[in-house]
Amino acid sequence: MPIKGKRQEATAAYLCLIPSIIGLVFITYLPLLSVFALSFFNWGSGAPDPKFIGLDNYARLFTTDPYFLDSLRVTVVFAVLTVFGSMIYSLFIAMLLNRKIPARGFFRAVFYLPYVLPAMAVYIGWSWLYEANFGLFNYFLSLMGVEKLKFIADGRLVVPSLALIAVWLSGNLIVIFLAGLQNVPRVYHEAALIDGANGFQRLRHVTIPCMTPIIFYNLLMALINNMQIVTPALALTNGGPGNESRFITYLMYQSAFISNHLGYGSSVSTVFFVIIAIFTVILFVTSRSWIFYEGEEK
Amino acid sequence: MYESKTGNRLAIVILAALAVLVMLPIWWMLRSSLMTNAELFAYPPPFAPTVWRFGNYLATLMNFPFWVYFRNTMTIIIPSVIGGTLTATLAGYAFARLRFPGKDLLFMLCVGSMLLPTMVTLIPLYIAWSRGLHLQDTYWPLILPYFCGGGAFNIFLIRQFIKTIPRELDEAAKIDGAGPLRILASIIVPSIKSAMIVVALLLFIGMWNDLLQQMIYINSSRNFTIALGLSQFKGSLQSDWSKIMCATCMSFVPGVIFYLIGQKYFVEGIVMTGMKS
Repeated sequence: MPIKGKRQEATAAYLCLIPSIIGLVFITYLPLLSVFALSFFNWGSGAPDPKFIGLDNYARLFTTDPYFLDSLRVTVVFAVLTVFGSMIYSLFIAMLLNRKIPARGFFRAVFYLPYVLPAMAVYIGWSWLYEANFGLFNYFLSLMGVEKLKFIADGRLVVPSLALIAVWLSGNLIVIFLAGLQNVPRVYHEAALIDGANGFQRLRHVTIPCMTPIIFYNLLMALINNMQIVTPALALTNGGPGNESRFITYLMYQSAFISNHLGYGSSVSTVFFVIIAIFTVILFVTSRSWIFYEGEEK
Repeated sequence: MYESKTGNRLAIVILAALAVLVMLPIWWMLRSSLMTNAELFAYPPPFAPTVWRFGNYLATLMNFPFWVYFRNTMTIIIPSVIGGTLTATLAGYAFARLRFPGKDLLFMLCVGSMLLPTMVTLIPLYIAWSRGLHLQDTYWPLILPYFCGGGAFNIFLIRQFIKTIPRELDEAAKIDGAGPLRILASIIVPSIKSAMIVVALLLFIGMWNDLLQQMIYINSSRNFTIALGLSQFKGSLQSDWSKIMCATCMSFVPGVIFYLIGQKYFVEGIVMTGMKS
């Protein structure tokens, strides 16, 4: 009976996992390997059949591509601005929402709302707020006596302007932080209170240490997601002005799907993958020194 | 208990101020959709319309086939959300409760895929869908991936949630002769409804926002989703901001409705999972 039970259990498990295994193989890992392989080929316009060209795509990418280095720069600047902005914003909001205050549900809904709006509509709506002559933001600036700005039409301002929208959209981080805060054991707070700790001390020595695993998770996911930013370039800027919003994913989209250079686009993807992997490894390595796990001796 | 009254009052004031700031862009889009272009370009811009011109929406619907786009979008989203939620539940159950050879390896591969940027695999997938299977300009490349596990994060969420359910319930059913799949259907699923709603909502939002893949796979305008239609509409109008804002606000509606339905489960759903480790 136990052996039969075990076999039955394993069979059921594999049945349950069939869709996910198919997904992991055919939608995740096999395409990942293929993109490495494709990056060594010339395939697409001018080359109807794939032709092996070794490292030529990479050589071109790093030496003659007029966009690549710019797009690397704007992507990293955007990701850093957005990750820091949205982490601070959402942790702050989550801590306020975690208090026993009236209308919590209402406030929670308000701060989460931007996240459920379709991205395309959000960017179009914000482009009206950023409009160079009649936009809301320029009206505010004129009230303060500041000259009108072009925001997304200005090369120096386009990335910060888009980062502001991304911070506004970061409701998902708030929910995860809020969930984490509600899991901070109350006894820790009570113990600290008995020891006479004030609000700030409790934040510093109870809340933040207990939250470090969640902070790490959000940091990692926000970084990976924001490095892949592409929607505002597709919806609004087409990579401009100049190259100032030609994010890496947009560059990949252009080379593979607009110019139809599938091999070259794959080399962009591969380099992008390596860069994100490096960031991820750095985060994991440094995290050991600042993440606090409950029940672990330090 | 350990919160001071003054602190709470201060928190409400700050939250209210920030809530106004967060809502301001949405209000501005809404109010702009109810005004004429002449009113929009007035200075100083009025905070609210003097006349609420709901007729703008009817006028917009003449050029912006919202219902066609809406139907197309739902044709993609509804099966995907159902498929993603079901397959994520199946996988989450296997990882949470069942013992089988290769479990650790599979779980590692699954969590590892969370770290993999989805943009990286776009080109090979495109080649497979459109050149291999000739499914370009259909919805299949957008829908079928969701029947393959619904994403590692969602599997993980369901798994964590199932782990909070006492095993005694399973054991009792097992003694009554129920197999693993019976237990899943009769005990697990009823107790993880809120997690499944969270997963459904996350999948919904994910698809809603996936403009890039829609642009890659959908070509003909009769197949356009709301996002693609909106993009085309804005391109064709340029500066008729009143109509553009009408179309924008219309596209907000489905997501907001879905969120309002699901929202009461939302934080509870994520809290219960314990989101640790």
